[in-house]
Amino acid sequence: MSLIRRLDDLASLGRSPWHRASALGKLLLALLLVFASLASRALPAVLALQAIAWLLVLTAGLPWRLIVAAAAYPLFVAALFVGVTWGGPLEPHLVLLARPVTATLSMLWLIGTTPYPDLFAPLSRVLPRSLGDGLFLTYRALFDLLARAERLHQAQRMRGGDAAPAARRVVTTGEGLATLVVQGFERSQRLYAVMLLRGHSGRVCGCRHWAELGRDDVWVGLVFVAAVSAAVLLRGGA
Amino acid sequence: MLPVWLWGPAWGVAILLMIWAVRVQRGRPPQRIAYEGALGALMLVAMAVEVPLGPFEYHLTLAGALGMLLGPAGALQAAFIASTVLAFIGHGGLTLIGLNTLLLALAATVAAGTLPALARGREPAVAFSWATGIGHAVSGLAWLGLLALGARLRAEQLGLAPGTRTPWVLGIGAPFVVLGIVAEAAAGYGMARFIQRVRPDLLPSVARPREAAA
Repeated sequence: MSLIRRLDDLASLGRSPWHRASALGKLLLALLLVFASLASRALPAVLALQAIAWLLVLTAGLPWRLIVAAAAYPLFVAALFVGVTWGGPLEPHLVLLARPVTATLSMLWLIGTTPYPDLFAPLSRVLPRSLGDGLFLTYRALFDLLARAERLHQAQRMRGGDAAPAARRVVTTGEGLATLVVQGFERSQRLYAVMLLRGHSGRVCGCRHWAELGRDDVWVGLVFVAAVSAAVLLRGGA
Repeated sequence: MLPVWLWGPAWGVAILLMIWAVRVQRGRPPQRIAYEGALGALMLVAMAVEVPLGPFEYHLTLAGALGMLLGPAGALQAAFIASTVLAFIGHGGLTLIGLNTLLLALAATVAAGTLPALARGREPAVAFSWATGIGHAVSGLAWLGLLALGARLRAEQLGLAPGTRTPWVLGIGAPFVVLGIVAEAAAGYGMARFIQRVRPDLLPSVARPREAAA
């Protein structure tokens, strides 16, 4: 979960042109890469889209360890699935392995270059109010609860919790998480009081500049055109 | 990995259920939305906590426990938000948000639905644990079924003998499901035991100790 915290820091502190581009353009490009990759059955098209995704993450200033960790998870799951259905021609298996990696890298690039208020703002406009608000409030609560969970885990280890039998460890983990339920409840009461003090109007609003296009959106536009061209020109007979 | 006709309708069903959940919960106080947000975040935190179980490290979901604490409608929204955030960091994928939400919500709904019957004559923590286990068993079986169906369809697509794939999927997936049921039930027991001692008013009314309910 330190992955989320790391990404959140990078999204706000990064200095690449992608960080300066608008959230709307980046969201559309990421969605294009995900769905074009899903729709393509030809290996050259899928590989070209993946190359674009790699280019995006490598030029966004994201640490390579983060990139490898993010790419390894879907690759592992896809490899398990390919292993279970192994047989026949090789190309469909390679396509199946490549697709989730492209999707993950695209989303990693998006969230690693876009602060969450910019990212959630367009989503909150299409979601029902309570869901949109819930998205913001969940994300806000996440880092606080995460830090508490890590401290609890450290305390548990220092007191020899790891040496306990497995059943005892899980029950203790449940008790530790229950402290976060209580904390979450009390936090929600405080948070609401703070929201009222700040003039909460009944809806959590995202920032307003998520759709403001700038000079750096030209790069996003160029990659968009390249991705569409790759998907169309390399689609083969499929 | 799963065909579009499987994840597409799952998205549709998840959206319909979400509309229902929003309607059912209309008029709830904003504090409740903040509480649901906090427990949605807790779901993500639980998924990050590694519980070492022998050679495996299990990641809890707390779906069953949250179903009992928030009710099915609240847990559905929390599951949707958690699945969306996970998809944004590349865990689960955009296309699978619907299916993941439904699987988590299934565990939550079954746990919340069975709790009243299980709470009769049992310690709240024990009833919580049983309900969590049952919820995750049903959800785990649905997950296994989806995996087996996905493998079968893919084998058919590739012109392979589809029947031979199912035992592999079940062989790999079933131990994880069993491990998940035991771990979630044990964690649910620990959660309920602690909340019962510290803030029994946060437990659902059917599972509160008598003195707290009165």
